[in-house]
Amino acid sequence: MKLTVPFYLHKAGAGFPSPATDYIEEDVDLNIHLIKNVPATFIIRVQGKSMMDVGIYDGDLLVVDKSLKPKNFSTVIVNVHDELVVKNFVKEKDEQFLTSGSKKIEDKIIINSESDIFVWGVVTYVIHSVY
Amino acid sequence: MSSTQCTKKIALIDCNSFYVSCERLFNPKIRNKPVVVLSSNDGCIISRSNEAKALGIKMGDPYFKAKDIILKNNVHIFSSNYSLYGDLSRRVMRTLKRFNSEIEIYSIDEAFLDLSNFPDDEVEDVGKEIRSIVLQWTGIPTSIGIAKTKTLSKVANHIAKKIKSGVVSLIGIKDIDPILEKVEINDVWGIGKQLTKFFAQSGIHNAKQLKNTSNTWIKKSSNVLSSRTAMELRGISCISLETQSSKRKSCVVSRSFAKKVEKLQELQESITSYCLNAAEKIRSESLITKSITVFIRTSPFQNQFAYYSNSKTIDLPIATDNSIEIVKTALTGLKSIFKNGYRYQKAGIMLSVLTDSQGSKNLFSSVKDEKIKNLMQSIDNTNYRFGRSTLSLASAGINKKLNIKRQHCSKIDTADFNFLPTIKAI
Repeated sequence: MKLTVPFYLHKAGAGFPSPATDYIEEDVDLNIHLIKNVPATFIIRVQGKSMMDVGIYDGDLLVVDKSLKPKNFSTVIVNVHDELVVKNFVKEKDEQFLTSGSKKIEDKIIINSESDIFVWGVVTYVIHSVY
Repeated sequence: MSSTQCTKKIALIDCNSFYVSCERLFNPKIRNKPVVVLSSNDGCIISRSNEAKALGIKMGDPYFKAKDIILKNNVHIFSSNYSLYGDLSRRVMRTLKRFNSEIEIYSIDEAFLDLSNFPDDEVEDVGKEIRSIVLQWTGIPTSIGIAKTKTLSKVANHIAKKIKSGVVSLIGIKDIDPILEKVEINDVWGIGKQLTKFFAQSGIHNAKQLKNTSNTWIKKSSNVLSSRTAMELRGISCISLETQSSKRKSCVVSRSFAKKVEKLQELQESITSYCLNAAEKIRSESLITKSITVFIRTSPFQNQFAYYSNSKTIDLPIATDNSIEIVKTALTGLKSIFKNGYRYQKAGIMLSVLTDSQGSKNLFSSVKDEKIKNLMQSIDNTNYRFGRSTLSLASAGINKKLNIKRQHCSKIDTADFNFLPTIKAI
């Protein structure tokens, strides 16, 4: 899948227009900038509202890199009891747990050796339509 | 043996139950459950999870034969979703290329990788690293066999499939006879049914026996290819990697029909649309064809109806990638083999003797050829932008009644924006 955006060399703004206004130098290839590891990166659509507090809305697209290890507060795709879901990954002292965007404490899902929870991939970008 | 010794080392990486693994990637509910994938048109079983294998479901079995076991054991069934499998296959192969660009993509789920750059005593660990990275990056589990030759790497892979680590290296093993003794002759790479029969008559039943048979005898009594196989079993590399994306030599498009077809016109429509797909495919790879084969057949599993199967190959005077010419030729071929009164179940075409289209101008090229080339280009560009079959030939039929049967298809395609996987935020 490939999406490119034409990239205009001159700045938008007030002033005398450049004679080369309609001259397009190059395309910005979003694949290059948003996808660092091509074979390990998947585009996934979000369904549901639990992550709205961290800016992930129903219908948004996630760029997910399966090769990355989650950092503290990474947004992750995680397998919780045989279902893939979007969560935030938190490390605290000796504890690792998942939260939804909301601050509600009851959302907390503890990850330990018995919990049958695996991080599937790490979200690197969220694409949200605002138009 | 010094620790930095670098003999020839070839790894065969094989994806485990590949189509099933693809279906499991976004559907963890079917982890550890029996799963099968059906061929196009839901005809036969073409991929089985270990759990399904344990139930006694056989590879290639017609779906209706296995239906009882499937229903009784809640086996999850999927129609093949080749677009998804193709994308995941490309991802696996690209990941493998990080380790060495010397790679031969042998099939959708298998590749030979040259690991000669790595020291002998590290190569098994390299194999384990490859396995774990492919699993982490793409979610696809693999088995890896490493040995001095392609044939031996197949043997190693066979063993790797049965052990937990999934990686077996035969490098540095002095006496491999005990291993080869356990490999039946028909499991040796390159030994087909005929050769198996022939070798059995001569008392050769396993790989060790073939390895220790003299080349002179093999060459005299069978053929050069099996003497190469014997050499490879001795650890002498005779079959090299076919890397540099060696171009395809043929292109086949065929489908089974959801509903049996009896009319010539319906077959003509199908054949036309297969030709268009194939022509577009070879154009995208800058190839031209010199030979077109059409084939049709009825179902071999329907005893109450007569069986008929036939094919026709037509050689073209001048190689072409022109859709119109390919369709015309194929339809001529179809007419010559079509017989009334049969219920056709499958039809297809093959473009063969493919060559590079660059510099293919000849005495008979004309301005008209240039025009046609431009027309083909516009068709391809339009179809690329607006989806396949936006522009087509009228003989392909307007309403596609013959849509293939895919009752159990997962509606996910990681390479198609309209069918991206969906994950819940709950």
